[in-house]
Amino acid sequence: MPDSFLFGAILQALINGVISGTILAVPAIGFSAIFAVLNYPNFAIGALASVGAYGGLVANTVFGLPLEVSLLAAFATAAVAGIVVEWVAVRPLNQAGALMMAIASLAAAIVLENVIRFFWGNGLRGYDLPMLRDVQFGAIRVGPQQVKNFGISIAAMVALWAFLALTPLGRAMRAVADNADLARLRGVDPVRIAAVAVALGAGLAGMGGMLIGLDTSIDPLTGPRLVLSIFAAAVLGGLGSIPGAVVGALVIGMAEELTVLLIAPSYRSVVGFVVILAVLTVRPAGLFGARA
Amino acid sequence: MTALVVEGLVGGYGPDDQVVKGVGLTVAPGRLVCVIGPNGAGKSTVLKLLAGLLRPMAGSIRVFGQAVTPASPRAMIAAGCVLVPQERNVFGALTVEENLLMGAYTERGRAKSRIAEAYARFPLLRERRRQAARTLSGGQRQVLAMGQALMAAPRLLMLDEPTAGLSPVAAQELFATIRALADSGMPILMVEQNALDALHVSDEAVVLVDGRNAHGGPARALAADPTIRRLFLGGRAVPDTTKEMSA
Repeated sequence: MPDSFLFGAILQALINGVISGTILAVPAIGFSAIFAVLNYPNFAIGALASVGAYGGLVANTVFGLPLEVSLLAAFATAAVAGIVVEWVAVRPLNQAGALMMAIASLAAAIVLENVIRFFWGNGLRGYDLPMLRDVQFGAIRVGPQQVKNFGISIAAMVALWAFLALTPLGRAMRAVADNADLARLRGVDPVRIAAVAVALGAGLAGMGGMLIGLDTSIDPLTGPRLVLSIFAAAVLGGLGSIPGAVVGALVIGMAEELTVLLIAPSYRSVVGFVVILAVLTVRPAGLFGARA
Repeated sequence: MTALVVEGLVGGYGPDDQVVKGVGLTVAPGRLVCVIGPNGAGKSTVLKLLAGLLRPMAGSIRVFGQAVTPASPRAMIAAGCVLVPQERNVFGALTVEENLLMGAYTERGRAKSRIAEAYARFPLLRERRRQAARTLSGGQRQVLAMGQALMAAPRLLMLDEPTAGLSPVAAQELFATIRALADSGMPILMVEQNALDALHVSDEAVVLVDGRNAHGGPARALAADPTIRRLFLGGRAVPDTTKEMSA
């Protein structure tokens, strides 16, 4: 392989990685937000991403809504499903510990996946998107929809930052994540904040599911296929750390694209496992995490 | 009118784990009352009961004449009782200003005017308002914790071992701040392990032993009382000698 060709291919993979990592950051932030406030890993996040993707599909293809509005529908559908999962499957087990809650979330994921199958089957489905030609910069090609998805992901993160930093509810959520006992002593209702965190986390997962589906197509396993990457991104950044989830997702996104290029596409899913093993061995608290 | 009257308070961590077995307390406006006693006497549990973190099993609580049921921390904030806990009493990841804003969480409409008052009272907090609370020194954190509690405009401030873990110099400075706060009219109920220093700065004191009132009265008189000095020689509880005597 000539050097310039390899350089171009690596640059293309890195750009693809930044775009897919930024999109992956959206559900990874959701996963971390739920962990930060409720102290358990919600493995239903993948299934919730699928629920969001199908919620957006209905809004877009049945009701004919534009993609931006359909993304809000994806957020809302997954947020509602996330609250139902939390109240029905997870919360009744909160005295049993984080492991039991994580297992309950896995069970809920299987239920959600099959509810989607019941209504839409296993087949691939696509959004109502205009066909657009890729934009080319020298040897680098980028799809206009990819750029749009990248921009939407950045906008979602900015909106989340504004919510967490500038609103009393967002501040209370960060306070609960930092010191739940003191937050309660200052009059914060932990049940309300938990509901907000779950709605926000699940909503972001749903939005992420649709953003990923916009690039290709969706099926009931669109979200569950992401769980390993989401979990690896959150572990790498430090469980519960939102900036950590963003950095972790970017690293995972780029590492996956480079693996596809330099090793083989079938090794893509190995990246998540390798990252989790490496982080747990070298720095269990992750890059930005305070807790090991 | 008396700020706080507690009678026959009983509570703990379950029916089989009663720690407070009958405590009475009175705090008048502008008075600093300290609660001292050996480890396990139930001092901090009294504050947890008064802050709504634990439900009392018996007893009555009156705040400025009104009977209060400590159903939750929110209910106690509404009644005017605000606690500064002993440990982890600030939000480390939040800035100093965000910590103060969290203090006024239940009355967010008044946060702006109260934050100005907090900065006027504690200029140090204004200087460090953009700094994460975890970067403050131990003494500065205690001042922030008090500032945060004052943001709720309490009618009674409760402090759980405010000088725990502080250097002697920082502890003296903090005691001076607490005294000044009481002199400004704020009724304060303070639990302290550092008994003799606490007696010197307080107006009145209650000594708890095994969950019950053992002694009480003006703090200076108690500081001079040989029994109290024997119990808390050098500010530390004397080892239990009853076993040696019976042996």
